[in-house]
Amino acid sequence: MSCLRIIILCVVCCSFFVSNAAAVKIEISAPGEQTIPLAITSLVPIESPKAGVVEGFQQVLENDLDLSGLFDLVNPASFLSDAKKLTLRSTEVDFAQWKLLGAEAVIKGGYRFEGEKMIIELRLYDVITRRLLTGRRYIGKLADIRRIAHTFADQVMLGLTGELGPFSSRIAYISNRTGRKELYMMDVDGNKPVRLTDHRTIVLNPDFSPKRKELIFTSYKKGNPDLFRKEIYTGRESRLSLKQGLNIGGRYSPDGREVALTLSRDKNSEIYLIGTDGTIHKRLTKHYGIDVDPSWSPDGNRLAFVSDRRGNPNVFIVDVHNLKVERLTFEGKYNATPAWSPKGDLIAFSRLENKEFNIFTIRPDGTDERQLTFGPGSKEHPRWSPDGRFLIYSLDRNNQKSIWVMRSDGTGGRRISAAGGDDTHPAWSGRW
Amino acid sequence: MKNLSAYLLVLIFALTLLVSGCAKEPVADEAAMMDGTTEVAVVEEQAMGVVEQQVDEGAAAAARAAAEAEAAANRAANDLKRIYFDFDQHVLTESAKDQLAINAQLLKAAPSVKVKVEGYCDERGSDEYNLALGEKRALATKNYLVSLGVAAGRLSVISYGEEMPIDPANTEEAWAKNRRAEFKAQR
Repeated sequence: MSCLRIIILCVVCCSFFVSNAAAVKIEISAPGEQTIPLAITSLVPIESPKAGVVEGFQQVLENDLDLSGLFDLVNPASFLSDAKKLTLRSTEVDFAQWKLLGAEAVIKGGYRFEGEKMIIELRLYDVITRRLLTGRRYIGKLADIRRIAHTFADQVMLGLTGELGPFSSRIAYISNRTGRKELYMMDVDGNKPVRLTDHRTIVLNPDFSPKRKELIFTSYKKGNPDLFRKEIYTGRESRLSLKQGLNIGGRYSPDGREVALTLSRDKNSEIYLIGTDGTIHKRLTKHYGIDVDPSWSPDGNRLAFVSDRRGNPNVFIVDVHNLKVERLTFEGKYNATPAWSPKGDLIAFSRLENKEFNIFTIRPDGTDERQLTFGPGSKEHPRWSPDGRFLIYSLDRNNQKSIWVMRSDGTGGRRISAAGGDDTHPAWSGRW
Repeated sequence: MKNLSAYLLVLIFALTLLVSGCAKEPVADEAAMMDGTTEVAVVEEQAMGVVEQQVDEGAAAAARAAAEAEAAANRAANDLKRIYFDFDQHVLTESAKDQLAINAQLLKAAPSVKVKVEGYCDERGSDEYNLALGEKRALATKNYLVSLGVAAGRLSVISYGEEMPIDPANTEEAWAKNRRAEFKAQR
């Protein structure tokens, strides 16, 4: 027993020293609580300068890292001479200058062109320990500049927190800008929106495959709300579930082998598991009440869902193996759209109070309920980023619906979808 | 020479007789054929006149029945009034039941008409939940019509949830209008 205690003590001590040694390692699950002073310098031309590189890159990178809430960006107006120098090795950097400005980390980089080919060199340095944290070279075309910036932002997050950022992933959503509800996809910052469907009926509620570049969604294209599957790059499309009645709220299991969804083939909505060929594997709920909106736990063993079996809509959890159902939410009169965090520790949901929805989180054991959003407008459909650091949701305010992103603690909320239509039902892809 | 002329005359006469005799027969045939056709045509005319009269009587009855069915179908298509629900409810209100009794009479009068019962919700509440709720509204409506004697096979259901509001405004009045079941006649 005492032997075990000594071992535990050793482990605790070791981890203490380790965390001290890595000067800028920070707690990833608590964004906003502790920030790193970070200097982002402009890209320097390695050979001749070219228009459209520096500003485009800077804006995307700053926006991503600002959204993370992990950094205090050092004011570029205060930068000294080192900011303008190309320093692709840590020995060339004048760390004293950056220390003087209070920066604990600095991003430097340069670019050059070989004909059409663009080469961008990027470095993330630790000012305190004077060493290189992340070095990356990106080769692409000028048109790839935003993508490169997002990808490097993910690497900066990895270098400083030990876990990749989500900025190079994608957001699928539903928009009515053509006059009909169709499926769209965009970058995490709202850039490059593309319409993926042309069904000219009603398209609803998308979800990304965790394994393939593929989306599932519900559409009335054939007259019944059927579940469709679409390969994003080939555009190939097929019906995955076309049972009579509802085929809605499809969600891929974490291993991508099954889909949980709501079917009403028994004249009542129930949660089912189907295979990727559309065959029914298992019925998970059996109740005359409404059962909808499944969301997988990251281990694939449980599903949160919405049911009115106790009167008002509330969030329940069903065990996929023994089908035992437990009630999760008890507060409020209308709780819906649960989304289980990819880390497994939280379930986000929306609650209707005073005619407006707000987003809450709760632990899967029903403790520690917190309200994340406040203020005017209805906030619905929360979905997590693949790293669990952020939530996207749709906001309905002044009769206009738009998609917003915020940190998992509710701070930093900002609109990402452009004006010009009602945008709802965001879904965040996995790593792209 | 005289003998030859006489001989030729006799020959020509004989030929003429022969030719005219030969030609006469087809002329007579033609006349007989023409007589025949005329006769057939007359018979046909007479028969058609009789049949026409008979069809006339049947068609009038059928047309009357068709017109009545058409009128009943039109009444069903046009006069089937939508019904409304309370918030987050799929239980039929008394006024909804009264309207459904009228709708059931219209449907029973037009047995050829099939109807799609469409369930709708107001925009409050989650979309998925509302799709399920809209279906429950459509099913409750269908079941009540069946209980009033409408054949179940004539009634199909579909839910549009909160997707197609009648009034997109954010008011109690608008929401009340949007929580409904509609009837689409299919012929």
